[in-house]
Amino acid sequence: MSVAKPLPHDAARLHVTGAARYVDDTPTPRGTLHLAFGLSQVAKGRITSLDLAPVRSSPGVVAVLTAEDLPFDNDVSPSNHDEPLLSDGTVNYIGQPLFLVLASSHRAARVAARKAVIGYAEETPLLTLDQALAADSRFEDGPRIYEKGDAAAAIAAAPRVVEGTFDLGGQEHFYLEGQAALALPQEDGGMLVNSSTQHPTEIQHKVAEAIGLPMHAVRVETRRMGGGFGGKESQGNALAVACALAARHTGLPCKMRYDRDDDMVITGKRHAFRISYRAGFDADGRLLGLEFTHLVNCGWAQDLSLPVADRAMLHSDNAYAIPAIRIESHRLKTNLQSATAYRGFGGPQGMVGIERVMDHIAHDLDLDPVELRRRNYYAAPGTATGDNTTPYGMEVSDFELHEMTAQLLQSADYAARRAEITAWNERHARLKRGLAFSPVKFGISFTLTHLNQAGALVHVYQDGSVHLNHGGTEMGQGLFQKVAQVAASRFGIPLEKVKITATDTAKVPNTSATAASSGSDLNGMAVMAACDTIRARMADHLARLHQLTPAEVIFDGGSVRIGATVEISFDEAAKLCYEGRISLSSTGFYKTPKLEWDRIKGQGRPFFYFAYGAALTEVVVDRLTGENRILRADILHDAGASLNPALDIGQVEGGYVQGAGWLTTEELVWDDKGALRTHAPSTYKIPACSDRPDVFNVALYDGQNREETIYRSKAVGEPPFMLGISAWLALSDAVASFGTTYPALNAPATAEEIWHAARRVSDGV
Amino acid sequence: MYNFEFEKPATIADAVAALGAEDAQALGGGQTLLPTMKQRLAMPTKLVSLSGIGEMQGVCSNNDGSLSIGGATTHATVAAEAAAQYPALADLASHIGDPAVRNRGTIGGSLANNDPAACYPAAALGSGATIVTNAREIAADDYFQGLFTTALEEGEIITGVRFPVPEAANYQKFLQPASRFALVGVFVAKFADGVRVAVTGASEDGVFRWSEAEQALSASFSPEAVNGLQVDPANMMGDIHGTKEYRAHLIGVLTKRAVAAAS
Ligand SMILES: Cc1cc2nc3c(=O)[nH]c(=O)nc-3n(C[C@H](O)[C@H](O)[C@H](O)COP(=O)(O)OP(=O)(O)OC[C@H]3O[C@@H](n4cnc5c(N)ncnc54)[C@H](O)[C@@H]3O)c2cc1C
Repeated sequence: MSVAKPLPHDAARLHVTGAARYVDDTPTPRGTLHLAFGLSQVAKGRITSLDLAPVRSSPGVVAVLTAEDLPFDNDVSPSNHDEPLLSDGTVNYIGQPLFLVLASSHRAARVAARKAVIGYAEETPLLTLDQALAADSRFEDGPRIYEKGDAAAAIAAAPRVVEGTFDLGGQEHFYLEGQAALALPQEDGGMLVNSSTQHPTEIQHKVAEAIGLPMHAVRVETRRMGGGFGGKESQGNALAVACALAARHTGLPCKMRYDRDDDMVITGKRHAFRISYRAGFDADGRLLGLEFTHLVNCGWAQDLSLPVADRAMLHSDNAYAIPAIRIESHRLKTNLQSATAYRGFGGPQGMVGIERVMDHIAHDLDLDPVELRRRNYYAAPGTATGDNTTPYGMEVSDFELHEMTAQLLQSADYAARRAEITAWNERHARLKRGLAFSPVKFGISFTLTHLNQAGALVHVYQDGSVHLNHGGTEMGQGLFQKVAQVAASRFGIPLEKVKITATDTAKVPNTSATAASSGSDLNGMAVMAACDTIRARMADHLARLHQLTPAEVIFDGGSVRIGATVEISFDEAAKLCYEGRISLSSTGFYKTPKLEWDRIKGQGRPFFYFAYGAALTEVVVDRLTGENRILRADILHDAGASLNPALDIGQVEGGYVQGAGWLTTEELVWDDKGALRTHAPSTYKIPACSDRPDVFNVALYDGQNREETIYRSKAVGEPPFMLGISAWLALSDAVASFGTTYPALNAPATAEEIWHAARRVSDGV
Repeated sequence: MYNFEFEKPATIADAVAALGAEDAQALGGGQTLLPTMKQRLAMPTKLVSLSGIGEMQGVCSNNDGSLSIGGATTHATVAAEAAAQYPALADLASHIGDPAVRNRGTIGGSLANNDPAACYPAAALGSGATIVTNAREIAADDYFQGLFTTALEEGEIITGVRFPVPEAANYQKFLQPASRFALVGVFVAKFADGVRVAVTGASEDGVFRWSEAEQALSASFSPEAVNGLQVDPANMMGDIHGTKEYRAHLIGVLTKRAVAAAS
């Protein structure tokens, strides 16, 4: 059976040889036009004059469109209808698309786009959280508040209290393939769109609205993305809609891709947060009461900010049973790029908050930080003596971290290394090593419950080959391979017999974004359903031919055994069924059970289950410069019964490195006018292969999902991102040993931030 | 990029003549100039490539012990060929950019460009080098005149650089992690008659000599000699990669490291 085998990514060879096709590699018909947006150069104000004559007369330009030229809905928002494709006269951030240039080449379009002469009536932009808060500039009427018990009273009665505030920066997605789309006009006014998107149905929906046709007139196809990370959940809308409008306007195929700098300037990023906390606890370190305030920088449009900020609140407990907690979340509207989905979808920010609290308490009590965490863990299944519910009232019934923590501490030799590092640090004044553990408990399911559904379409051809299609998209994570393994296993055939095909809204309709880590969970189940329908029909027919019952027909090892004596190949079986006029095509459908969630009250069961992980990171820090290195990372991650351990370990490694990058080197800087100054790899530092830890031990926990998921596996896309928090905590641990006060690191902990923190603590001595 | 003409002369004299044309510009390795032209920030009508001029290539020792490097010598060649005589210089060259940059970029181009975060200006000033042009010789102390500004006249070519070889030297480069240019770089060189300390990446006026440290180190060439000395943050660059205070502080740290590595 191919499920659970560590097979390589289905397109690995194509990726490495360069043969894998992305949108921009797709051969285009002659006459294809190329598009570019003209961008706002001010962060807030109104356009008073827009002279596009120099743009129109620029070489190669075919047409220039403004909001007035748009025939139908001028909107590319995934949520609130507040994101015009082209400015309606107001501008809200530097980089906002104002007009659209159609030209004979990518370059001609970009060159022309810069030639507009634009007059603005500038207003003072709101750029910082403080400015937005002071102006009460926000989404939703006021803060969202989730509460359990009376946190203020619990803190007041607690023997000890720590409090603090810190800043947590955003993050650029830096998918290797930038945003791209291609629209091919069809004979009846319809549109075929090729899009680098995690959400083909959303593209279909927005394109249909924009060209004034029903969704049936728009077909969206996505073979693969060169990385998405959430950045292609809603941010591809603008390009696809622009291409479709331009194609409708000219009757010609139209393609658009953002240059890297434009991509960084135009598109949304991870939400930056400021988190304040007040925690009351007893002398043993048991949390009694906790208050969080999240200030969330959402940028100018709503996009996915509400569910992102909700998910941050829903992960403010991480792995800890907290008797009384209050989380207040302000979703602030500023004149910056509209922050959007990014791996973890707010969960990482919420989790950094509580891990920071743990770190602070351990420092305050001079208690081993791992021991402190274990004392506050939720109870293991079947061991809860009292309340074991989250701040939003969900029973934690699958808590794996007691066992995982024990295993990791042992395999990583925690106790001995802790002692060795402490001794080493006493001998060294300039360099200090730090060691930190952090657990992950991440909720799996879309918090917007209706999104938890998926469809699939499977055909078995008369030669026994299988065509596989489902609503999930491939962005390098290996979803297609995992789902193909499921299909191959259901039919008992080798993986090579299963053809993986591009996601296509004409094959599987009404799909959800490939997001929330749910790709394999949802689509794997839908594909299983489709395969099982076909297999049952085949078994029925073959049994009848031999006067047996369907239960006596076994699909295994590329063969079909019919009763005790007959064995034919799957190919022959397919041929027999075809000749017997059996339908060999089926859809499949799945919806996640048990979910029920009220986001206003903050009560219910938003998640089907939790995925767990545990990480231990060792770093070294130089007091004089703040320079630092990750020396070693040990990870134990829970992928349930993994569908493909090789791909899952790849996700864990990549997630950890990306999470550590977010909290260390990836620094977004806007100037005081609101211009993003870090808009290229020369100024924005993502981790490279050489930045991964020298010693990097990643293992999967030997477990099974306690809920009925596809082959009892667990989702693995987002959870490991948060293992990177241990790197940030290890830096804090190292810095703490320069003095006696708490380092109170901000994030990202760049070398300079660490230098400042080291001075803060050592000045205290 | 705008259109331009291209010439590849074989002698300095022909290059100088070709550069006499209006808006002609010398082309070294093109690692700085070509990106600038692509962005249309430079629009020379003619590029005069210096890479075909044999007399501007290579590294050689002079009788007085100094080292001469042709103005069109690539970073990679300096890294390989200066290693025996002037290891600190070779080491500096071997850490510029990436292999592509080192195989193309030239010492003459780097010094003519005088980027405030570039490495070679620190070596030239720190060594007390002499910049040799087609017309004259210029002492490094007179050559660097602020950001992207040098003593070169229009059309003047750096044909070579003459480096006195110090008793001990070292270059410490603190990487700006994204671009890997110097956030701060310090070149320390100890000669029989004193110590020179040149700092790149840090000042609003480009590469400069840190004279307090030079005096202290001339008296005692040890990292401790720099204790208590501090560059005034006021004149430092503060930008998205580092504050003035941080840069001023790093100068002291890197100077000590360079001294420790050199002695
Ligand atoms: C990715 C990248 C990373 C880099 N990292 C670093 C780094 O870490 N440290 C560092 O120091 N530099 C770095 N550089 C710059 C690199 O060293 C360049 O090679 C150098 O600055 C310019 O040299 P060039 O020969 O390419 O000059 P060109 O780009 O050809 O020319 C630059 C300027 O100098 C003039 N010029 C060229 N040669 C002469 C000459 N012989 N006489 C008079 N004028 C001349 C040209 O007319 C032009 O104005 C980096 C560059 C890149 C692209």
